[in-house]
Amino acid sequence: MQKQFEKVLMPVATKLANNVVLRSLRDGFLIITPLIIVTSIFLLIGNFPIPGWEDFWTGVLGPQWAEWFSAVSNSVFSFTGLLSCFGIAYAYGKNRGLHAVNSAAVAIISFLIMTPTSVTVGKKTVGAVETQFLGPNGIFLGIFTAIIAVVIFRFAIKRNWTIKMPEGVPPAVSESFDALIPSALVVLVFFIVRVVFSLTDYQTAYNFIYTLIQSPLKNVGNSLPSVLLYNFLSSVLWCFGINGPTIVNSVWSPIFFALTQDNLTAYNAGTALPHIYTQQFIDIFTTYGGGGSTLSLLILMLTVCKSKRVRELGKLAIVPGVFGINEPVIFGLPVVLNPIIAIPFIIVPVLNTAISGFVFSMGWVPYTNGVMLPWTTPPLISGWLSTGSILGSILQLFELVLGIVIYYPFIKMLDKQYLGEEAAVEKDADIDIDFSTI
Amino acid sequence: MKIIVLLDQIQAGLGGKEKADTELGGKKLAMGAADTIDKTLKKKDSEVMATFFCGTEYFSENKDLVSGKITRMLQKMKPDVLLVGPTYDYHDFADMALEVGLAVQTNSDIPVVAMVASEKNEDLVPQFSDKLDIIHMPKKGGTGLSDSIDHALELCNKKVNNEDISELKSNYCF
Repeated sequence: MQKQFEKVLMPVATKLANNVVLRSLRDGFLIITPLIIVTSIFLLIGNFPIPGWEDFWTGVLGPQWAEWFSAVSNSVFSFTGLLSCFGIAYAYGKNRGLHAVNSAAVAIISFLIMTPTSVTVGKKTVGAVETQFLGPNGIFLGIFTAIIAVVIFRFAIKRNWTIKMPEGVPPAVSESFDALIPSALVVLVFFIVRVVFSLTDYQTAYNFIYTLIQSPLKNVGNSLPSVLLYNFLSSVLWCFGINGPTIVNSVWSPIFFALTQDNLTAYNAGTALPHIYTQQFIDIFTTYGGGGSTLSLLILMLTVCKSKRVRELGKLAIVPGVFGINEPVIFGLPVVLNPIIAIPFIIVPVLNTAISGFVFSMGWVPYTNGVMLPWTTPPLISGWLSTGSILGSILQLFELVLGIVIYYPFIKMLDKQYLGEEAAVEKDADIDIDFSTI
Repeated sequence: MKIIVLLDQIQAGLGGKEKADTELGGKKLAMGAADTIDKTLKKKDSEVMATFFCGTEYFSENKDLVSGKITRMLQKMKPDVLLVGPTYDYHDFADMALEVGLAVQTNSDIPVVAMVASEKNEDLVPQFSDKLDIIHMPKKGGTGLSDSIDHALELCNKKVNNEDISELKSNYCF
């Protein structure tokens, strides 16, 4: 059974892990993640989920204080499309062996070529760029632009379509001339793209991509089956020792990223949060203590298990586990290639997804606000901060306890097996090997 | 076939990076990652007779001491083969596994098989690949773990029985 499963899954997982475009999408989002975390903290301070918070600080700092903080959060959240384009072009250029900065620069220019640069206000037309084109709704356009721009750029570089400088010219100068013809080709292509779209009903590439790709994909991704499948595959892959989220994110991350940014933008603007299934939903309301929701498992290892090995590992791994680090238990228990633990390791996150999805859709807990908390934020705190409601923490506590109930029979089975092994060895001789005298 | 496995503190189930000062020790059990190997072995009437473990920082501060103690303990316990790893792409663990492996192979008649990932170990592997039999394994979270365990155990088996290993080596070793 295990072997057959592996035969089907392995080739797909390997292909997804090694695909350069998908890898660059993941790497590209990672480049802008630190920025999102840092500016999220400013957003959170501006909107802390305590009644009277805003009035208190208005009294202390004056009415403009919220604007100080939103200036920082807007710097990233209103430009996620542009930033995605930058990050992904940088990563893709690097993964393709090009100058990463040149790749990113040419992609950003291409993105801006396709962006309308005038806004009609009343009867007047002014030169300006609307942030709607550069923000969350432009993420997919940013992705496509980044990949296509770098592909064209590379096409020209590979064919040596460059202007050769005589020897003795400083490298910085000759490198800038190297990029001249490839950049010109990229600009020409996106110029044509802009002209072609302006002749259609869509008017802009932005409208075309948003209506035909981003919006439908968001609808598919923003559904319970999508997140159930995501968590199921993540957990199954971990059981084979494969970092599941890394693989499945290559498919889902652009969608969840866009959904999360929608909520963040709405939260920033103080309007209703549009989506249930965001990255926060997955990170904060489906697993506790890392993949497989191993915090529930660790609590059991520490409290009800009798085998020395399991208890000892529980003691050592509980503190990192609270902060979402579960490497010690994944490799140390181990979870990897362990059919007994695989069952709850897969069931718990899937069940949590279903329960949280139901609870959110009933409106019992407010939707996640899209604020990207550092991934080490412990459960209960993360549930409160991401929803602004203590009900978020209560849901987490419920699922943590449910996880304990589900893991119980399985870890007891493993504990009994380990206990038996330890007893058998202890009967013969001392179980510990003494290196001190040798 | 009786195997002894050498692991670092993470793979032995003794904690994370912060426990790198764990002293050299062992149990007559299949601990942590060795338990996965033991399950595969038991299907073939073989077993992990003991697990040796050592924190990577403790090793780097006491290299000769640790290598010497492990070699002498192996001569006393007489396993059929020593398996160093699986190290995944943990660089410090790979360093320990390869250095200890080479010391044991040089100073005793116990055959040694290593399991190391190429990622993050580009500097290490070439120093040892012509002296030790190192099975190619995936990095942490990479694909192909259980295949690489099968290859390592097949190599152990052939070395114990003095069979020809050239095909296995050319297909699955560095």
